[in-house]
Amino acid sequence: MITGTGITKTFSRRGGVLGGREVPALRGVDFAIEKGGAASFIGESGCGKTTLGRILAGLESHDSGEITIDGVPMSSLTPRRRQPYFRRVQLVHQDPYSALNPTRTIHQTLSAPLSLRARQMERAGTGRPRSWIGERAEELLSLVGLDPGYVLPRYPHQLSGGMRQRVVIARALTVDPEVLVADEAVSMIDVSLRLGILALLKDLRDRLGVSVLFITHDVATARYIGTDGELYVIYRGQVVERGPVETVISAPVHPYTQALLSAIPVLHGLETPGEQRVVPTEALDASRHDRGCLFAPRCPFRTARCESERPVLGHDGGTPQEHACFHPEARTVVAVPVSHS
Amino acid sequence: MAAEQSSEQSSDRSSAPGVRIRGLSVVYRTGAGELPAVSGIDLDLPPGTITGVVGESGSGKSTLALSLLNAVQPPGRIAAGSVEIDGLGDVAALHGDGLRRARGRHIGYVFQAAQNSLNPLKTVGGQLLDLGRSHGMGRSHGPDDLRGLVREARGLLDRMGLDGARVLDSYQHELSGGMRQRVGIMLALVLNARVVVLDEPTTALDMITQATILRIIREVHEERGLTTLVITHDLGVVAEVADNLAVMYGGRLVEQGPTGEVLGDPRHPYTRGLLAAIPRLAGDIGEARALPGRPPTLDSVPADGCVFRERCALRMEVCETGRVPVVSWGSRTAVCHAVQGAREDVKQTVTAGTVTAGTAIADMGEEQA
Repeated sequence: MITGTGITKTFSRRGGVLGGREVPALRGVDFAIEKGGAASFIGESGCGKTTLGRILAGLESHDSGEITIDGVPMSSLTPRRRQPYFRRVQLVHQDPYSALNPTRTIHQTLSAPLSLRARQMERAGTGRPRSWIGERAEELLSLVGLDPGYVLPRYPHQLSGGMRQRVVIARALTVDPEVLVADEAVSMIDVSLRLGILALLKDLRDRLGVSVLFITHDVATARYIGTDGELYVIYRGQVVERGPVETVISAPVHPYTQALLSAIPVLHGLETPGEQRVVPTEALDASRHDRGCLFAPRCPFRTARCESERPVLGHDGGTPQEHACFHPEARTVVAVPVSHS
Repeated sequence: MAAEQSSEQSSDRSSAPGVRIRGLSVVYRTGAGELPAVSGIDLDLPPGTITGVVGESGSGKSTLALSLLNAVQPPGRIAAGSVEIDGLGDVAALHGDGLRRARGRHIGYVFQAAQNSLNPLKTVGGQLLDLGRSHGMGRSHGPDDLRGLVREARGLLDRMGLDGARVLDSYQHELSGGMRQRVGIMLALVLNARVVVLDEPTTALDMITQATILRIIREVHEERGLTTLVITHDLGVVAEVADNLAVMYGGRLVEQGPTGEVLGDPRHPYTRGLLAAIPRLAGDIGEARALPGRPPTLDSVPADGCVFRERCALRMEVCETGRVPVVSWGSRTAVCHAVQGAREDVKQTVTAGTVTAGTAIADMGEEQA
């Protein structure tokens, strides 16, 4: 189990047109991912969701807050001792075209981490025969739905985007991770192939007990990874709504979540639009203020209080999910299927 | 939205040009000879409508879009067919100065990743003036027409919710993705083109920005009386903006018709599979089904028979070779043996006639199952 408490991260930008200034990427984010569980972070680009994923994978430091892995606080360990923990968290990012070394065959790509793994196991007294590396590579490729005989001798450019993303997932699995952080993992994949990758991630949860942290702007894909999962809606570095996926989608209470869900295209003819769709009053670029509720300048429901005071995450108003809004009200915003007669 | 809007509300619409694409084929020269990226496309863009072309990578949708500008670059070339635009003639037959004038003045193009297609070293205004000069402004008639151009550009940007004057003074890196996309649309429209092609207009934009851009596309289309073609991989984008939907696969059009009808009652197995593969926000998520196999590439598109058969659950012997029948009923078309079979089974009147090169057209009348 991985938890995060009060994670903050601020990037400082020097020079440029914005002048030197601090950009808060994460403002005290709490989260928890159970073993084999699923958590999805959704929000617009720049909301901090990618930064959070990178911090979890040990690729980025955070300024304050604590991450614990299996109850061990990471701040209590030296960087060297932290490493094996962070290795349990593997990142699968958006672009399968740049994630693989173009000069290496898939066999080479998978063998490198596997031989490292073999040496580790040897040190731990659970040594494997030499043939293990090749067998494991084949096993992992089969697990992600690829034909090892076809894929192993090939270079990345000889594979389609969908196949490459599966190879990237297989590579992440070489170190037996407990958590896969999938950052927009299907957004560059053809529509007809996306579901295959999503089904694979779901399957890894079921079969291997791998937890999936799914970072996306496409809420519906988050739903596919696991209706039993938790959804975190992040706005400008703050979690503004958090709860079971189905609850947050069908009865969101934060106006930002409502705006995000309302913006999802409706398949007219197949679906009818939600009745209470919410449209922000301003574009994102027009709202760089840090007073009160971060969403207030764009919020159609804001009051004077929202401009001066910042709401914190909680169950105010007795909502089943947590939210950071002074005026929580469940609205029906997502499209519903046209009923077939 | 798209489905609900009446198609005759704008007074300007009557003057919008129509576009007729007939028998269009584009081939690319490769080591293995010339391979077709687009084959035998027949598509009408009725005046004043938005048509959405949906396809995955390698479907030929971007090649089709470039053909409207006659801008297919070597090693590609238009091998057959015509693109007739009202008031302009066959674009595929244009070249040299005539073609250059047509681009911009008649046909506006918003490029894929317009967010990144601006010159980073020049302000938006600077690029606008370049565009004007390349169309002969500011030379014979003095700077007046350039001033008019800037006025027009500022008006368009203001209309799209931006501070036009400020944007014209900005460099690309000072603008967000959604703002750059609007600049791309402005540059496509500023010379008063009435036919507009948008290639993946919202890719890489956030959901809320995407919704804003789609609304702007729809509104500007109405106000200026345009004939618009939107190319995308995202059925949702088409569903939001397009009056008509055309689905491409392996370089061919496999299904087309009014957007709401096609989405509500898809007939081609590919359209059905694609829709089933999109996870939705309501209903049983378990009903989402992946489409097996993967889309063909230029060198793996079958030269004969149905291009989709490899992935099709309804594959039959007849799909392996020969031409696939174009089945039409009402304002819809599907290119599929199984669709033809299904319609014959329900005993509808079939007035089959043989048209070009053995393509059987079965007119099924207006009736729908």
